[in-house]
Amino acid sequence: MIDNLLLGFQTALTPENVLWCFIGVLAGTVIGLLPGLGSTTGVAILIPLTLTLEPVTALIMLAGIYYGAQYGGTITSVLISTPGEAASVVTTLDGYKMARNGRAGAALAISAIGSFVAAIISLALLMALAPPLADLALEFGPVENLAIMILGLVIVVSFAGGAFSRGMMMAALGLLISTVGVATGFSSARFTFGNVDLLSGIPFVEVMIGLFAVGEVLHQIRVGAAAPIRTRFRDLMITRSELKRSAAPILRGTGIGFLLGILPGAGSTLASFMAYGIEKRVSKRRGEFGKGAIEGVAAPESANNAAANANFVPTLALGIPGGGTTAVLLGAFTIYGLQPGPLLFETQPTLIWGLLVSFFIGNVLLLVLNLPLAPVFGQMLRIPYGYLYPIILLTSFVGAYAVSNNMFSVLIVLVFGLVGWVMKEIDLPMAPLVLGLVLGPLLEKSLVQTSAIGQGSFLVLLQHPISVGILLVALALAVGPTVLRKVTASRRVQQAAAKEKDSVSR
Amino acid sequence: MKSGRIGAAALGTAALLALTACSGAAGGSPAAEDGAPSGDVRMIVPFSAGGGSDQSGRAIAAGLEDGTGLNISVENREGGSGAVGYSFFLGQDANPNYLLAAETALLALPLTQDVEFSYESFTPIMKLGDDYTLLVVPADSEWDTCSDVVTAAGDGRVVAAVSGATSLDEIVFTLVEQDQDVEFDRVPFESGSEVLAGLLGGQVDVASLNPSEVLGQLESGDLKALCAFSDERYEYEALAEIPTATEQGIDVSFAQFRGFIAPGNITDEARDFWIEAAEEFAESDAYDTYIADNVMQANAVYGDDFVDYLEGNRAELEKVLVK
Repeated sequence: MIDNLLLGFQTALTPENVLWCFIGVLAGTVIGLLPGLGSTTGVAILIPLTLTLEPVTALIMLAGIYYGAQYGGTITSVLISTPGEAASVVTTLDGYKMARNGRAGAALAISAIGSFVAAIISLALLMALAPPLADLALEFGPVENLAIMILGLVIVVSFAGGAFSRGMMMAALGLLISTVGVATGFSSARFTFGNVDLLSGIPFVEVMIGLFAVGEVLHQIRVGAAAPIRTRFRDLMITRSELKRSAAPILRGTGIGFLLGILPGAGSTLASFMAYGIEKRVSKRRGEFGKGAIEGVAAPESANNAAANANFVPTLALGIPGGGTTAVLLGAFTIYGLQPGPLLFETQPTLIWGLLVSFFIGNVLLLVLNLPLAPVFGQMLRIPYGYLYPIILLTSFVGAYAVSNNMFSVLIVLVFGLVGWVMKEIDLPMAPLVLGLVLGPLLEKSLVQTSAIGQGSFLVLLQHPISVGILLVALALAVGPTVLRKVTASRRVQQAAAKEKDSVSR
Repeated sequence: MKSGRIGAAALGTAALLALTACSGAAGGSPAAEDGAPSGDVRMIVPFSAGGGSDQSGRAIAAGLEDGTGLNISVENREGGSGAVGYSFFLGQDANPNYLLAAETALLALPLTQDVEFSYESFTPIMKLGDDYTLLVVPADSEWDTCSDVVTAAGDGRVVAAVSGATSLDEIVFTLVEQDQDVEFDRVPFESGSEVLAGLLGGQVDVASLNPSEVLGQLESGDLKALCAFSDERYEYEALAEIPTATEQGIDVSFAQFRGFIAPGNITDEARDFWIEAAEEFAESDAYDTYIADNVMQANAVYGDDFVDYLEGNRAELEKVLVK
């Protein structure tokens, strides 16, 4: 272990590798910032430019883009309510509210700190336990994944809080929209009306850009431009009490993100939503969520970063990509003449440990880069909205077009921009819709697979111990609070009655 | 970095423009008259960046660039299992400056979806090679040959993983079913790596995957390959021991092809230009590296031979996909 770490540091700390690591995380931050251009596309586009580099140097840079994008995706979520990555959607809920309250700097700082802590913890776990964790991840097949999806949906419900039925309605709408296109395991198309562009479904990145960015701009135009936020630089710094409030949410978010991240396919988006939902459940400041609670930024941002790092567990230990970007990275291994697979740790120790140690270095660089910049970015809100709107619209449309070089994407952004505006006007929550849309295909896939495994019966859900455990957690979350409230309420009544008796007898 | 790239591209374009201008002035035939490609060429990849099609598209583009001196840029137009990219390509009719990195979707889509194209709508240029599949099972499986698997499927339940309704593995399993009169239970997945996870996790019993997808697991001893659904055994050292399905009495061989096509109705000159460039590419080291990296069999064919291949391949696919 120590030998491996030393080997890793020797490899990762050469000036050349540190330089390329820095280039990678910087490029990643920029790629994460731009709506539409995600880390998957970013890495794929830049692979050809790395062909002249040593394989380890190239991979250090490409991986830097991946986790760098997790940091960058937050910045626009907080400042202009436009998530750069799907995993940052939920950050807009409280991050943007914090920015409107003049706390943009604190929101960005806590997300950088949370991301950093999450990265370091998950990296330590990854280094120490990758092979056994990977074996554990393999136990999660379609049946267990279905149970996780059910758990995810239950947690979404807790999102909506007071507006329970509205949240449910929007999640259902998201699921409904996700049924457009060809389903897993079938070749017939649904709801496409002969349109080729709809065959692969309504793309959620474009929906996200439309709902959040364009919808917000339209809304602001309607209500009259919001005044620019003028705060003193000093007031944008994060305070000690904010840090203290965020400590536990960061750790919980890291745990959830890491667990979901090691499963191939569950993904960091679900992790960030679940972390937010759970935080809202356990927080003493439940009422502040949605109005600018720092916990609502700290937890999901830690979760998506932990998930991004945990994604490397199946990728490096098994040769099975944990998500879209790690799949592209594995493809890059082949291009450099390396055979991805379970033997990588043995056959390529220099490369693997160099890469892993570079994650530490990259995350330190990102923290150093992001912390001082947080208040600076916060100052950007001084720009009058009259100038900000055109920039947001321009990046939205260009970003959408860049996703697939297709005008159809721009059309989707326009349509969902209008939808987002209407939703804002009548006060419908947008995050559950996006989660429904993201979760829909995954849920449907697990449903089809589980039904195939169970030969048409869903009773298999109750035959796998892991899925039974997950379903019990979901059940506890669904009915637990109500039961708890009833119990404490009745106890209070009893106590009150006892007291009364007491006073009477006195 | 990005601006550097754009700068380089701009410089390259400028240089190319200057070159074409010079050759025109020197009395060489201007490109536009005989319809041969000149200047910037686009290679459409109908799948997302990073996938198998993307890799082959980029390898072909780079190889053709070296041979022709043209500037060939790759453009991903993904969606609808390739339908979006092919449909866009259909709109580039008669334009010699477009190419598309093609694979089995070119034949499978017209058979299963309501699309406006078939391979006859385009000008096939080159098939690079064939990517067959291996039947793989976990290393501790009781089965040692493909015949064992077929026997087990005849006696009871064998759960096979497939990565799509029109994917290569689905086709191969259907061909085995038709040849041996047995039935496999199927669990659908969405990619080769998902199938791999299902197989290693014990959720499915067998899978049929490209060698490049399982080489790592074969070397580590986590999986074993029972037979190859190819005409001949692989020549690669790591795979040479694997018998073909035919050797085990199962008459099934089916490959996914990879190649490239030009739009329909281009001039004969343009077609000959690309075929010549393709033949030159096949002679290069870059071609050998691509084939070896992806553990394919190098069976390159061009032009009319490629058309014949597509016709035969479609007939075979039709038997499987159109039920």
